[in-house]
Amino acid sequence: MATVQVSEAEKVYILHGIRDDLRVDGRGCEDYRHMEIETDVVSNTDGSAKVTLGHTAVLVGIKADIGKPRPGVPNEGYLEFFVDCSANATPEFEGRGGEELGTELSNTLYKVFNNKHSVDLKSLCISAGEHCWVLYVDVLLLQCDGNLYDAISVAIKAALFNTKIPKVHISADEEGGKEIELSDDPYDCMRLDVENVPCIVTLCKVGHRHVVDVTLQEKACSVASLIISVTHTGTVTCTRKVGGGSLDPESIFEMTEAGKRVGKALHAPLMKLLQQEESLGKTRQKVGFLG
Amino acid sequence: MLKSKTFMKKTRSGGVMKIVREHYLRDDIWCGSEICTECKQESPVLQRDPSIESNLCSYPHYVIPDTNVVLHQIDVLEDPVIRNVIILQTVLQEVRHRSAPVYKRLKDIIHEQEKHFYTFTNEHHRETFIEREPGESANDRNDRAIRVAAKWYGQHLEKAESEADALKVVLLTNDLGNKQKAEESSLLVYRCEEYIKSLIGNPELVDRLALSNDDKHDITSSKVLFPEHLPLSRIQAGIKSGTFLQGTFRASRDNYLEATVFVQGEGEDSTEVLIQGLQNLNRAVYQDVVAVQLYPRNQWLAPSSVMLQDEGAAKDDNEEDKEEEDEEKSVSLGLFLLTSGAVSEAARKPTGKVVGIIKRNWRPFCGMLNLSQIKESTRHLFTPADRRIPRIRIETRQAATLAGQRIMVAIDGWPKHSRYPNGHFVRSLGNAGDKETEQMVLLLEHDVPHQAFSQAVLSSLPKMPWAITPEDMVRREDLRHLSVCSVDPPGCTDIDDALHCRELDNGNVEVGVHIADVSHFIRPCNAMDKEAANRGTTVYLCGKRIDMVPELLSSNLCSLRSNVERLAFSCIWEMNHKAEIIKTRFTKTVINSKASLTYAEAQMRIDDTTKNDDITKSLRGLNKLAKVLKRQRIEKGALTLSSLEVRFHIDSETHDPIDLQTKELMETNSMVEEFMLLANISVAQKIYDEFPDCAMLRKHPAPPPSNYDILLKAAKSKDVEIHTDSAKALADSLDMARVDGFPYFNTLLRILATRCMMQAVYFCSGMDTDFHHYGLASAIYTHFTSPIRRYADIIVHRLLAVAIEADSTYPDLMDKQKQSALSTNLNYRHKMSQYAQRASVAFHTQLFFKSRGILNEEGFVLFVRKNAIIVLIPKFGLEGTVFFDAKHKATPKLVFDEEGPTLKVEQHTFHIFDMVKVTISLDASNIQHQKIRMSLIEPVISGVSVPAPVVEPQAKKPKLDR
Repeated sequence: MATVQVSEAEKVYILHGIRDDLRVDGRGCEDYRHMEIETDVVSNTDGSAKVTLGHTAVLVGIKADIGKPRPGVPNEGYLEFFVDCSANATPEFEGRGGEELGTELSNTLYKVFNNKHSVDLKSLCISAGEHCWVLYVDVLLLQCDGNLYDAISVAIKAALFNTKIPKVHISADEEGGKEIELSDDPYDCMRLDVENVPCIVTLCKVGHRHVVDVTLQEKACSVASLIISVTHTGTVTCTRKVGGGSLDPESIFEMTEAGKRVGKALHAPLMKLLQQEESLGKTRQKVGFLG
Repeated sequence: MLKSKTFMKKTRSGGVMKIVREHYLRDDIWCGSEICTECKQESPVLQRDPSIESNLCSYPHYVIPDTNVVLHQIDVLEDPVIRNVIILQTVLQEVRHRSAPVYKRLKDIIHEQEKHFYTFTNEHHRETFIEREPGESANDRNDRAIRVAAKWYGQHLEKAESEADALKVVLLTNDLGNKQKAEESSLLVYRCEEYIKSLIGNPELVDRLALSNDDKHDITSSKVLFPEHLPLSRIQAGIKSGTFLQGTFRASRDNYLEATVFVQGEGEDSTEVLIQGLQNLNRAVYQDVVAVQLYPRNQWLAPSSVMLQDEGAAKDDNEEDKEEEDEEKSVSLGLFLLTSGAVSEAARKPTGKVVGIIKRNWRPFCGMLNLSQIKESTRHLFTPADRRIPRIRIETRQAATLAGQRIMVAIDGWPKHSRYPNGHFVRSLGNAGDKETEQMVLLLEHDVPHQAFSQAVLSSLPKMPWAITPEDMVRREDLRHLSVCSVDPPGCTDIDDALHCRELDNGNVEVGVHIADVSHFIRPCNAMDKEAANRGTTVYLCGKRIDMVPELLSSNLCSLRSNVERLAFSCIWEMNHKAEIIKTRFTKTVINSKASLTYAEAQMRIDDTTKNDDITKSLRGLNKLAKVLKRQRIEKGALTLSSLEVRFHIDSETHDPIDLQTKELMETNSMVEEFMLLANISVAQKIYDEFPDCAMLRKHPAPPPSNYDILLKAAKSKDVEIHTDSAKALADSLDMARVDGFPYFNTLLRILATRCMMQAVYFCSGMDTDFHHYGLASAIYTHFTSPIRRYADIIVHRLLAVAIEADSTYPDLMDKQKQSALSTNLNYRHKMSQYAQRASVAFHTQLFFKSRGILNEEGFVLFVRKNAIIVLIPKFGLEGTVFFDAKHKATPKLVFDEEGPTLKVEQHTFHIFDMVKVTISLDASNIQHQKIRMSLIEPVISGVSVPAPVVEPQAKKPKLDR
């Protein structure tokens, strides 16, 4: 993970600020930085979203492909994750530098998203045991300025919302072979229900308090953080502790409660925003990467 | 000034793919009209004053037809009266997609300057491009694009016309919905018929209007051409219950609408089911294992004796459901021919249809590409070299380079709505017509393994320098002192047999046949053995030999050349002078051949009374005995059949054939042959006595009596009676068959008799009960004498070696199942090598006639078909077909009589064996199937025969004449 060098004096300053619920950039402990979301940014994917959170920028593209259902769950499709830590984000990722982080991130993403409670995997099934949609979720880190998990999860939710899977229907011919027929209308497509897709809230223990959406400087002052995935109802679907330090049970409880609160508050405007963007349709001016 | 926009397109290729193309819109696409002042065009196409008078449109106007108008009324558009037409890009693309021939015609019109047709690229024009909207079908979108473009033109020209009369655009469409919508947006729109009928002074155009059906406008629905194949489960159930039969599909070489399915029954009880017509053939390809359903007996048909080829030169049906007109025609013609003519009850064969495919037997096929008419098109039809394989549609972007090359194509599938199977390009073999390429083609087509020997095989070879070791000498009989010699055709390097003959003190004669001891070098189950077993036989092509074993063995260590010590497997008889065998023994030996002679040399030595050396004496002895043996054999009823074999004189530098002559047989040929037969029979008896269950033998089944029909009929036409009750009767009656003043008659009869015969095959003695060799009139037979070029002989050598305790056995040798499987492969390879050989001869014959130009020759009618006669030219051993129903000529009156069989062409009746005069030339019009074309000169039939062309003076090519 990208790190910055922070002097002892700076650390004290940050710690003291957080203790008084006033962070270096003026936010409160449970405030996110400015977030920008744009969907449908990559035309050759089936769904895509770009999210910037402070200076952190991630791009998520989703490609739908037809595959074979996993043997254990013949009537469900599945998701595949790949996180590409490009050297654009930080020079540390050059060569194979980003691989470890990428694997760590994608493992967490599997846990959070690839289950039937988060995404309606049954709707991805085309014919039980034979064909299903596989959603390849490719995450590209464009810039790292802390709080990757949250940014990625928001981007994935937005991209899933944006995903248009072409409608197919199975025509069984007499030869016994089933043939997949694709609708020739490009507008005839299936949308995913993203209501239950969780967002990740990362809480960092800094001093005796915990903050959300840490910058790199704040991160340097923290020893441990808790990753919580929360649905729009405030249900926690997954928690994970990262970082070298320890957390006492009481603060874990506190952090989880804070996470639920923050997560719920995150979902509502996100969905509103996405629907608003969708309703603009073709008239929307695209911003893209140069905007 | 480029503006870019993207539009999404999803297509399917295996899975689902989303394809994104950038679509550039521009504002510098001009309208193409002379009156326009706004557009900066250099040479406007559309005239200022489009003069066409119409009742409906009294004003000057341009015409914009929609896609269906172009597709259906291309004849009208081609008329010189119709000018000043705007063809929208949308229309052009759709036309191209739907019908290649119409597209080609449209392109031709556009290029014609007189017609003033203008292509407006509305799809890239900033103001006329439209995107597909949700819920809109592709057709609707295109219709809308056409309306938008028409509207734009209207407005654009309105702006421009300052001084000129009101110039308008008229949209022609036959689609009611489209017309209504166009009227709503206040466009001038008419139905095509309306408009054409309104044209004053050109009533003849109405006749050219194609009848169009309004509701047929949606062409996108793909037509199903073939019935569905049944699923395997139902096929299996059907075969079990007997409703279906399983068999191998064999397409007819001569008629692409006809095939037979060979159904292997119990034992000898095999039937052939006739399949006729595309629907019944139902996408089966040559060699597929299929399930057939028999029709009731009253629907049975007789095989048509018609030659029918799936032709129609460089056509391409770009759209699957698009069936070209002339194709239909040829198909219907074919069906007409199939059904026409009263069929006698006897000629009817079990007839059925293919209901399912059990196993596809597709391999890559050699052939050539027929270029599509559309230059940029990536879909082309591929015509395989083998006529039994249907044409294949492939997609390639390198069509231009592949044209004129021999290429290989593999079939991927054959959907039920496609006239042709779909395939893909595999590799290129080289330019068509090159000798190397053609040779490669015929090797591949006949499945002849021809790759260089692998390293593993070569490592099994003995190390050089090789010499006979003392160990070998101990185990072998030393016959180096005998005056052994070999007699072979000239240029033979793989000498596998040698002979000797000497007088014994007791007055008897000792005769030895020495065969190269290949099994000494090729040990069971090593890499070389496996390779040889797979190859099965050496294949001899004109000017090339594809060895079964590496050259070191075939031309050196195993070849019984003169004056070198070689290992041999010998069969030595003691005979009396009546050629009765007194004693036979087999032994492994070492020999030293004293001379390698050609047939001619051996003959000269025998005839030259001055020579009296050992070899000559030995030859004379052999010759004398051979004559006795031959007489005995013929008395027993062995057949002497005839087939013309030709030899090419090959130019030493260019390797082109410069002359060809039929092979000539000498006494010495038959001398060698007799002893080989004798050795084979002796060995066959020996190994069968030792191993009654696993001896590899060769049998030649007696042909079923019906096979002789053609021979009997032919003989009868000359009042000659042939008896076919037994081989002996046949041989005798063939000998008796003479017609005065027709010396060649006997040979012709023998050629015909050869065609009646069955294939001789290898088999394992434990798997069969009938050992009889019909042609040789021998109760038992095998192949022992050519182990260098036949794998069967190697097995026989091994069996014999075990029998005389000269070698050890191994499990596979005694396994009759494995033996049987091996013989199946050997039979297949043997057959294929013969076909390859014939194909090679045919190719060289063509080369020969190419260099010779046109020749006039005399020939004999060999067969009579419904629409052709097959003529044999004895001088070249060449067979050719004279067609009477040429494609572009009126067919003369043909009356075919099956009983004769005779064919009456106008006034003249052709019988079998009639002498005719034909002109022979090379027909290179189809580069893939260059063929020898024969046309009739004599007898003269007006409208059918051709005047004898002047034969090119040979002096022109003095070099070739030498």
